[in-house]
Amino acid sequence: MIEILFGEVCNLYGDSQNEVYLKQTLPAAEFIDTAITDEPYFVNNTPQMILLGGMSEHTQRRVIEKLLPLKSRIEELIASGTVFLCTGNAGEIFTKHISYVTENIETDALGIFDLTVKTDWFKRYNGKVLGTADGVTVTAFRSSFSFIYGDNSDCYFLKAERGCGINPDTKLEGMRKNNLICTSLLGPLLPLNPLFTEYLIKLAGFDAPAAFRDAAMDAYEQRLKEFRDPKTVF
Amino acid sequence: MSKLRFYMAMTAAKLSAVALRLLGRNATYLPGLIALKNCKDFIGFLQKPETLICVTGTNGKTTTSNLLNTVLTHNGYKVTNNSFGSNVQAGVAAALLLNSTFTGKHKNKVAVLEVDERSSLLVYKYITPDYLICNNIMRDSLKRNAHTEFISYVINTAVPAQTKVFLNADDLNCADLMPQCKNRTYFGVEAERPEELPKGQIRDVCYCPVCGGRFAPDYLRFNHIGRWHCTKCDNKSPDRDYCVTAIDRVNHTFTVTAENGEHTFRLINDNIVNVYNFCGAISLLRAFGLTWEQISSAFDAGKLVQTRYDTLDAGNFKVTMILTKGQNPIATSRVMNYVSTCEGDNKCVLFLVDDVEDNINNSESTCWLYDCDYTPMADEKIGRLIFAGPRCKDHYLRALMTGIPKEKIVLHETTADAASLVDTDTYHDIFILYDNYRLDEAVAMKKQFAARGEVKA
Repeated sequence: MIEILFGEVCNLYGDSQNEVYLKQTLPAAEFIDTAITDEPYFVNNTPQMILLGGMSEHTQRRVIEKLLPLKSRIEELIASGTVFLCTGNAGEIFTKHISYVTENIETDALGIFDLTVKTDWFKRYNGKVLGTADGVTVTAFRSSFSFIYGDNSDCYFLKAERGCGINPDTKLEGMRKNNLICTSLLGPLLPLNPLFTEYLIKLAGFDAPAAFRDAAMDAYEQRLKEFRDPKTVF
Repeated sequence: MSKLRFYMAMTAAKLSAVALRLLGRNATYLPGLIALKNCKDFIGFLQKPETLICVTGTNGKTTTSNLLNTVLTHNGYKVTNNSFGSNVQAGVAAALLLNSTFTGKHKNKVAVLEVDERSSLLVYKYITPDYLICNNIMRDSLKRNAHTEFISYVINTAVPAQTKVFLNADDLNCADLMPQCKNRTYFGVEAERPEELPKGQIRDVCYCPVCGGRFAPDYLRFNHIGRWHCTKCDNKSPDRDYCVTAIDRVNHTFTVTAENGEHTFRLINDNIVNVYNFCGAISLLRAFGLTWEQISSAFDAGKLVQTRYDTLDAGNFKVTMILTKGQNPIATSRVMNYVSTCEGDNKCVLFLVDDVEDNINNSESTCWLYDCDYTPMADEKIGRLIFAGPRCKDHYLRALMTGIPKEKIVLHETTADAASLVDTDTYHDIFILYDNYRLDEAVAMKKQFAARGEVKA
């Protein structure tokens, strides 16, 4: 079972198509969509994979409020190897604390990682990342109001060859604990990276080629070439 | 000292406008930028016209602004506007200064200014609109506009309370905007109420901002545009003060009903998003003081600006050109949907939608494609889909993910000669969807098609 957590509100910047792409890659797999008003499936069951996409800041606070009481269950799932893919600002809910500078709001988050987040609506960052995660080369985009601060040297997701990590002062992007993968890279991470899709589903116990593999690889290889071009602005 | 700075800025800006005109260039942005560089509160020193109308919102600003300008001009008003220029702070400054005397006295009685949502804080700090229309608040460029909550925050923070606001009642993000403005008029469209909910489209309205309960749609036209009610409290879409109650697509008319009567207008363009734009503009023009007949007579003479929508009847085939804003997933989705509803049993769609600037020494963020709804392109009456330009492979994957058969898709990595891929013997209804920055290429294609047909462009 693959659980799409709060997909109707956590779907900014193309995130909803990660789910679509997974469904096309794994046509026999079962999926469950959990609304933010419902109890997550993972509370009483153990899904193979959980997807959580990017969201607005208001929604982020609501998601934290929803998941904080479930922290110990989430820790159990992480320890037992359940795959989580959290894209955009979704991974920030696993840090310790988020400061919403513009709105002047401070929120304690789940605290899985000893890191903090600063979100400022008047500082938009747009960039790209080319990096390697567990031997898989990933190309993706980032647009955010926030950066994550602290030391993620023992828990990063990928090492950026180009582009920045959790903040502009580091090349270590995202966070990882067992199979909990948190990355600030945006939504359509899976169709943009068919090789990473295949890697991710293997972690969850599936084995299948990425959907529309030839077309996805063509687009990926073109992007890889562009990202490796020294002229390309990051 | 400040006043001296203003005069120096005005002199530099006016001189730059003269220089630009001598060079045959538009003076719609740079003079404003020069003025603001020299005097950051330049707009605050300018005398305002008697009536200041502002237009904002994600989609439809330029169409609405042009329409307001056209109707007012048709009725004898001299109007200051920035419809053909920039809608950010410098564009607003340029429009105002170019229609002001050296001392800052405004020459025209009315101004219609299109204002980019993100520029609201910089513009409304210095000018208070008498009327402000907002057509919708939807997902736009993720790089600039992020998400609707952010844009709503900016507008809500910026607009003065005394402004009379005209809001789309069928867009809950828009209807709730600017709570500080108590003089509110709502518009919307009841005609052609859809019976089925659209599938597979993103919705930026899901939960009630009052109680957190789930919103349920009474009906939806596209994305979150439609009528809603909360399943937990009394919150619902507001009643409309001006409402399109009938659309006659055969006779090309639409009827607007309001408390003070109803009137039928010529339908300049039959895309439903433009019907919303028309209704919004009419509601504002009525409040401004024009009669139904004064507005209607301008509609009879008007048409959409050619740079946004143009057609060519080449005898044996027809070409329709539609501006399709890249990086804007909803606007692009609406154009694709519109094409699928247009006449033709075997249509060919030429897709020139990518960000030219973002692909020069760069690699355009393609995330927005994954918020687009490509489903209309799967329509069996679209026989050929040509993706041309540097991002054609990304469009191709996205199309395959939507279920569009690969047999009907052609990829071409450049846009320059893409028109040659269209077989006009087979396809008699050709649509060119082009990004802002591809206008010149689209116009060149139109000429190529005209040369192949029986008329000249």
